Amino acid sequence: MIVDVNAYLGHFAFRQLRHNTTDLLIALMDAKRIDKAVVTSAAAITYRNAQAGNEELVAEIKSHRDRLIPFAVINPFYAGWQDDLKICQEDFGITGLRLYPKWHNYQLSDPQCGELVNAATERGMAISIPLHVEDNRQQSWLLNIPDIPLEEIVELVKAHPKARFLLLNGLGYTRSPLGRKDSGLPSNYVIELSRLSAVLANELGQLIADLGADRVVFGTGMPFNYPDPALLKLEVLDAADADKEKIRGQNAARWLRL
Amino acid sequence: MAVPQVMPGTHIHMRRISRRTLLKSSAAAAAAMAMRAPASARQAAEQPVHSASSGPLRTETVIDCHAHLTHHSRSAWEADDRKLINAADKLGIDQLCCSILTPRRPATPDGFRECNQWTADGVQRFPGRVLGYCYVNPGYGREALEEIRRCVGDRGFVGIKLYNEYTCTEPVVFPIVELAIELGVPILHHASHSHYFVDDQPRMSDGGHLAELARRYPEAMLICAHISGGGDWEWTIKALRNAPNVWLDTSGSVTDEGTVDMAAAVVGVDRVVFGCDSSMTAGVGKIRGADLSAQDKEKILGGNMMKLLRRRRS
Repeated sequence: MIVDVNAYLGHFAFRQLRHNTTDLLIALMDAKRIDKAVVTSAAAITYRNAQAGNEELVAEIKSHRDRLIPFAVINPFYAGWQDDLKICQEDFGITGLRLYPKWHNYQLSDPQCGELVNAATERGMAISIPLHVEDNRQQSWLLNIPDIPLEEIVELVKAHPKARFLLLNGLGYTRSPLGRKDSGLPSNYVIELSRLSAVLANELGQLIADLGADRVVFGTGMPFNYPDPALLKLEVLDAADADKEKIRGQNAARWLRL
Repeated sequence: MAVPQVMPGTHIHMRRISRRTLLKSSAAAAAAMAMRAPASARQAAEQPVHSASSGPLRTETVIDCHAHLTHHSRSAWEADDRKLINAADKLGIDQLCCSILTPRRPATPDGFRECNQWTADGVQRFPGRVLGYCYVNPGYGREALEEIRRCVGDRGFVGIKLYNEYTCTEPVVFPIVELAIELGVPILHHASHSHYFVDDQPRMSDGGHLAELARRYPEAMLICAHISGGGDWEWTIKALRNAPNVWLDTSGSVTDEGTVDMAAAVVGVDRVVFGCDSSMTAGVGKIRGADLSAQDKEKILGGNMMKLLRRRRS
């Protein structure tokens, strides 16, 4: 089973996306043999009221909940986020969040963010954090949004040992405490592979060696990204078949409690 | 004079990803192929693929139009170069058009000569796999032209690599372009278009500059480097729509869905050339993921670059 923990639906404000409806994304998943995908609203990245994006997402995937796992985008500085969180979990059956601190103009170290992480954790929800949305060099003239530095993630995972984090669209972990099992950090995060190299520097192989194959999960970033590069990484990776199986889907199934 | 080693159908052992797999737009077959034993994969790689071209030009060779060997100031340069070839083996890339850049720019004549000597050594160390680009700084006019003649004429290099020392529309670059036309070799030009000023690359060229240079020299063969790592790729593709002698290199770390498809649709598939620029799985994965025919992918993966390299006059 292949589980993609990093997928999206809907429109993105700064670039046309294809395969961004349920039917089109499912067709793409079928073509690539991806069984399940965690999806969030691409529109919610730039909506002021992200909850409107969550509502659109839930309506969009209504008949495909067996394949698409919705995560909610919540901004802890927006009025009513506690209500939104409650509605997302209790009414929409959503089991996880995706946070955009740089796009929503807050810090992961802000107390309000801590409140959101704690509230989601108490509800048993996983929390995914894309370290970037698109390459900085192509950002619109309206934007100047940096990637999330890994140092800020280190502090976050330390501050919330009971939370379950998924780190998306990141790289450079092998130069960070996040990339080592012996760093003293809690084992409360998994790392998604879409931007990790599988040859040359081979950060993916290094992470498996230093952090463990149990802590790496498959993700593509589709339909922002072609899914094929991520699939190709697993094909060329020098690793045991058992480890590849963990990364393809077993780890995600465990982490997402599927 | 050394003969450029552009050898169609180079036989590669230990290949993990077969050509047939690489060309599949559906990864369903790709996944199935990847699960097969290496012998089967190699057997599949050796299956004849119908050629998009006519005449003697075969398009089976997969050519990375934008690659780099490692500067020898890095102690691990030899191992890193070997890793590049191993990665190419895994991904089914037959040949890599390589340059070495100086760690600091602007490059001095001694600096770019040293780099090109190491590139020539790389061509010798990996015969049939590494093809050389001659890297120069156009600001050193006489030395740059001499170096290009030496590298292309004597060493069999296949093209010229220009970086960001000058914007490509500055007159200092023109003699380089005129020599490239004389020799019949392409220029791979570093390029990017961001919607803000890039402080550390004040003389960066973009697709618009390359289109302007192409209009001035319609006989030149210009390759716009890394559209998938050169800022706003939609801008770049549109800027080059009406520049028939500029080819778009797909390399770069960005894997945005639709990039290769839009490039092929806007400038025509014959002007899109496959590259990695060290982002290997990104480079190959983009082509695999593009919603194009196998015939079009053959052109992008090697056929188009092969045609460029065969325009060489010497």
